[in-house]
Amino acid sequence: MRNEHSQHDAENVSAERRSFFKKTAALSATAIAGAGILSGTRAMAEDDPVIMNTPDWGHKIGYPVTKNRYGMPSPYEHNITRRNAQLLSSGNWQASIAMCPIQDLSGIMTPNGLFFSRCHGGIPTINPNEWRLMIHGLVEKPLVLTLEQLKRYPNVSRIHFVECPANGGPEWRGPQFNSIQFAKGMMSNAEWTGVYLKDILKDLGLKPSAKWMLAEGIDSSHMGRTVPVDKVLDDAMIVWGQNGEALRPEQGYPVRLLLPGWEGNLCVKWLGRLEFAAEPFYAKEETAKYTALKPTGKAIQHFYANEVNSIITNPCPEKPWTDLKKGDLVEIEGLAWSGMGTIEGVDVSFDGGNNWVEAKLKGLVLPKSWTRFSFMYKYEGKPLILASRARDDAGYIQPTIDQETAVMGVESVYHRNGIATWEVTAEGKVNNVQVRS
Amino acid sequence: MFKFDRKFILGASAAAAVAMLATGCFKSGDAAAPSASNGDNVLTYANGKRVIDGGRYYATVNGKSGPYYVNTDTENGGYTYGRTPTANELEAWNTTVTPWRLPPKGQGTAEEGEAVYEAKCVMCHGDFGSGGGGYPALSKGNAYDNVKTLKFQRVTADAEGPIRVFGNYWPEASTLWWYIMEGMPHPDTRTLTDDEVYALVAYIMNINEMEIDGEEVDYEYVLDQEKFAKIVMPNKDGFEPVIDGANGLENVRAYFADPANFGAQKIASADERCMSNCQKETAKVVPITIEQKEFIPPLSEVRDLPEVENTAGVDLEAKNTYESSCAVCHGAAGMGAPVFGDKKAWAAVVGKGMDTVYANAINGLNAMPPKGGTDLPDDKFKAVVDYMISQSK
Ligand code: HEC
Ligand code: HEC
Repeated sequence: MRNEHSQHDAENVSAERRSFFKKTAALSATAIAGAGILSGTRAMAEDDPVIMNTPDWGHKIGYPVTKNRYGMPSPYEHNITRRNAQLLSSGNWQASIAMCPIQDLSGIMTPNGLFFSRCHGGIPTINPNEWRLMIHGLVEKPLVLTLEQLKRYPNVSRIHFVECPANGGPEWRGPQFNSIQFAKGMMSNAEWTGVYLKDILKDLGLKPSAKWMLAEGIDSSHMGRTVPVDKVLDDAMIVWGQNGEALRPEQGYPVRLLLPGWEGNLCVKWLGRLEFAAEPFYAKEETAKYTALKPTGKAIQHFYANEVNSIITNPCPEKPWTDLKKGDLVEIEGLAWSGMGTIEGVDVSFDGGNNWVEAKLKGLVLPKSWTRFSFMYKYEGKPLILASRARDDAGYIQPTIDQETAVMGVESVYHRNGIATWEVTAEGKVNNVQVRS
Repeated sequence: MFKFDRKFILGASAAAAVAMLATGCFKSGDAAAPSASNGDNVLTYANGKRVIDGGRYYATVNGKSGPYYVNTDTENGGYTYGRTPTANELEAWNTTVTPWRLPPKGQGTAEEGEAVYEAKCVMCHGDFGSGGGGYPALSKGNAYDNVKTLKFQRVTADAEGPIRVFGNYWPEASTLWWYIMEGMPHPDTRTLTDDEVYALVAYIMNINEMEIDGEEVDYEYVLDQEKFAKIVMPNKDGFEPVIDGANGLENVRAYFADPANFGAQKIASADERCMSNCQKETAKVVPITIEQKEFIPPLSEVRDLPEVENTAGVDLEAKNTYESSCAVCHGAAGMGAPVFGDKKAWAAVVGKGMDTVYANAINGLNAMPPKGGTDLPDDKFKAVVDYMISQSK
C-alpha cells in the first residue's frame, strides 16, 4: 500500500510537494516511536491522557481508499460476531446454527455479516449463472427462470425479521443460557428485495385445485417445506437482495423464499423449485423436527407465524448496568416483533410481571419487523426483575410462561414466546431468570 | 396566453395537491384506524376468508399496503420472462416422494439395508440407529410402545421425555424415502440407488420393530413399491390440525383462529390487558440451574485488537480442503475419527508410521472413506493429512 501510494505521488505531485511529504513522513516516524504527541499544555494527574495527547490516528496518515474495497468493521469490533454452541448442533457444524449478537445491534437492521445462520447440509457456494428456478405442478404454464430473468420482474423491498421457530426453544423447562445472544439470537431483521410470488403466478394460471406449494432448496440437504397457497397469494416473496446487496450465502444466495413473519425454516434458502399440489408434501421438517408436541400427545404439524414477542436488549446479561451509579438516568431498550402483524405497544415491568407500565415505541414501526421500544428509568441500585410484554395489531399479547406452558407443555421445542425476564442484581449484574407459578 | 395557462395550471395543481393532502390524511387515518385493528375485518383476506395463520392481512388501500407505497401497475401480470421447462427437466427435478406419489420401482431387504447402513450411516447415527454425539437417532426400539411416550413431559431433569424418532413419531413413511434419497448420507447426498434406499427404509423399519400390513419387517423382508404403499405409521393420527383432503386448508384456518389451540393470548383491546397485580401468589423467580456456557467463541464485549492468527508455515490450500472435506467427520467427537487438535489421538495415529497412515487414509480405513471421499491427487491429499497432524501437535 505504501508503495502504491508513493508511486501515485510521484506521478501527480510536484517535486516541491514531494519533499514536503518526505519531511512529514520523517516526523511521523519519530512520533510512532513514542506513545503519540503530547499537547502543549502540561498534563495533571486528573487529566485524561487520551485527551491530553494526540494518539497515532490523530496525526499519522490513515490507510488509502484503495484498501478494503469491500469494507470491513473496525478490527476493534471483532468480538461482535455470530456465535455457536455444540448443544445447538445436530452432530456437526453443517447441521447447526450461528446466533446473532442482538445485544450489540442498534436500530432495526441487522448487518448482513451478523445475520443469524442456520443450515441443514452446510452452506453451499452456488454459481449464480447456473441457478434456475422451476415453478410447476398445478399451474397452466410451468416456468423456468434464470437469475437475470427473475430480476427483470418489478421488485419490492420490505423490512422483515426472520426467526427460527426454535428461538428460545432450549428454555421451555427453565433458563439455560446466561446470554441474550444464545437465549434469543436465532433471529435477525433485514430489508429484503425481490418479487411477490403472486405477481409471477398471475401469468402462470394457478389451478383452483392447487392448495399447497412445495418450496425446495438446491443445496445438499434439498430441504423442502409445504406452504399453503393463502400465504403464497398474500405476501410471499422470492428475494435476491438483503440490505441493498445480494443475499449472503448464509441467507440463501442467490435466491430464497421469504414468508414474512413465518418460521425461518419455511423461508427456504438456496431456492430452486416450487411445486403446486392439491395435497401437502410431508417434508422432513414437518415430522420429527419443526412440529410442536403438546402434552396431549398431539403435535401441531404445520405451525406458521412466529407469535408476538419481545426482549429487553439493554440491560441484558451481556450489557449489564454495573457501571451505573444510583440516580443515573438510563434507557431501558428492547426489541419487539410479531409475525402476525405490527407491534402496537410494549409494557415493561420491574417486578417480574406483576405490575406493568407502558414503554414508548421508537423509530420505524413496520409489519412483521423488529420494532424498538424504550423506557427512561432512574437507576436506584436496587435488585429488579425486568420484563417486557408486547402486543400486536392482530390482537395478540405475549402470554406469561404459565399461560403458554399450560397449553403447550414443555416438550414442544418450537414457538416459545412467553414473557422473558432479566434479574438485575444490586450490583447491576444481569441474569437470565424465568417467572413461573 | 402561455403565461396565463401556466399560472392556471400551477394554481390548479396546487389546489389539487391540497385536496389530495386532505383526503390523503382522512383516508390514511381511516385505513390505519388503530381502534379497528382488533376487529375481524383485518384478520380476513380480500376474499373474506380468515387469514390462515391467525394474523393480520395488509390489503393495498390507496396505493399503500400498511406503511409501504405500492406501484399497483406491477400487479396485473403480463410478464413474458423465462420459458417452459421440458418434460425431461421436469422429471429430473421432480424427485419428491409424498403420501400421494410413490417412490420409483425398486426393492431391498433389511439385511441389505444393514450393510449399506454400516458402510454409510453408522458413523453418525450409531449402532442400530441409536444416535449420539448430537446426531439424530433413527430408532429407540419398538415404535408401537414408543408412541405411548408422546404424552411424557420432562418436568424434572431426570424424568423421561417423549421419544421422537421415525418409527414412533413420523406420520408418513414417504418422508423417509424422500429424505434419505435427497438429504443423506449427510456428507454426500443424492448418491444412493433406489434399491439402496428401499433397503435402508426396510432396515430402519426393522430396527423400529415395525410391521407392514400385519407382517413384521424382519431381516429377510423384501420391501418394494407395492409393499411401501401399504405402510401405515403408528403415529399417523398424532398431528393436528388435519391437513389432508379437501378441507385441509380450512382445518388449518379454523385451528389458528383459536388462540387456545397454540398457547397464544388475545385481547379485544389494549385496555383489556392486566396492568397491576397480574401474578398469582405462587409466582416465583426460577434461576438457571444447569447452565450452558460452551459458547464459541466465548462471550466478550471487550473492544480490542484481535489476536492475529499465525498462518506462517500453514498450507492454506490444505486448510481449506480440511474445512470443506474432512471437518465434517474429523471436526468433532462421535464419528470415530481422530478429532482435529486432539494431540493424544493424533500421536497414536502418527505412531503407526507415516507411510502406513498415508496408505490407510488414501485407501480408506473402516469408516474413513478412501481419500476422505475426495478425488485429490496423492500429493495434495497428503498435504491435508500433514496439515491435520501439524495442527494437532
Ligand atoms: C456425517 C454424518 C451423517 C451420515 C454419514 C449420515 N447422516 Fe443422517 N443425519 C445427519 C445429520 C446431521 C442429520 C440432521 C440433519 C438436519 O439437521 O436437518 C441427519 C438426519 C437424518 C435423518 C432424519 C432424522 C430425523 O428424525 O429427523 C435420517 C432418516 C437420516 N439422517 C438417515 C441417514 C441414512 C440412512 C444415512 C446413510 C445412508 C445417513 N443418515 C448418514 C448426519 C449423518
Ligand atoms: C465420512 C467421515 C470421514 C471423512 C469425510 C474423512 N475422514 Fe478421515 N477418518 C475417518 C474415520 C472414522 C477415521 C478413523 C478410522 C479408524 O481408525 O477406524 C479416519 C481416519 C483418518 C486418518 C488416520 C488414518 C490412520 O491410519 O489411523 C487420517 C490421516 C485421515 N482420516 C485423514 C482424512 C482426510 C485428510 C480427510 C479429508 C480429505 C478425511 N480424513 C475425511 C472418517 C472420515
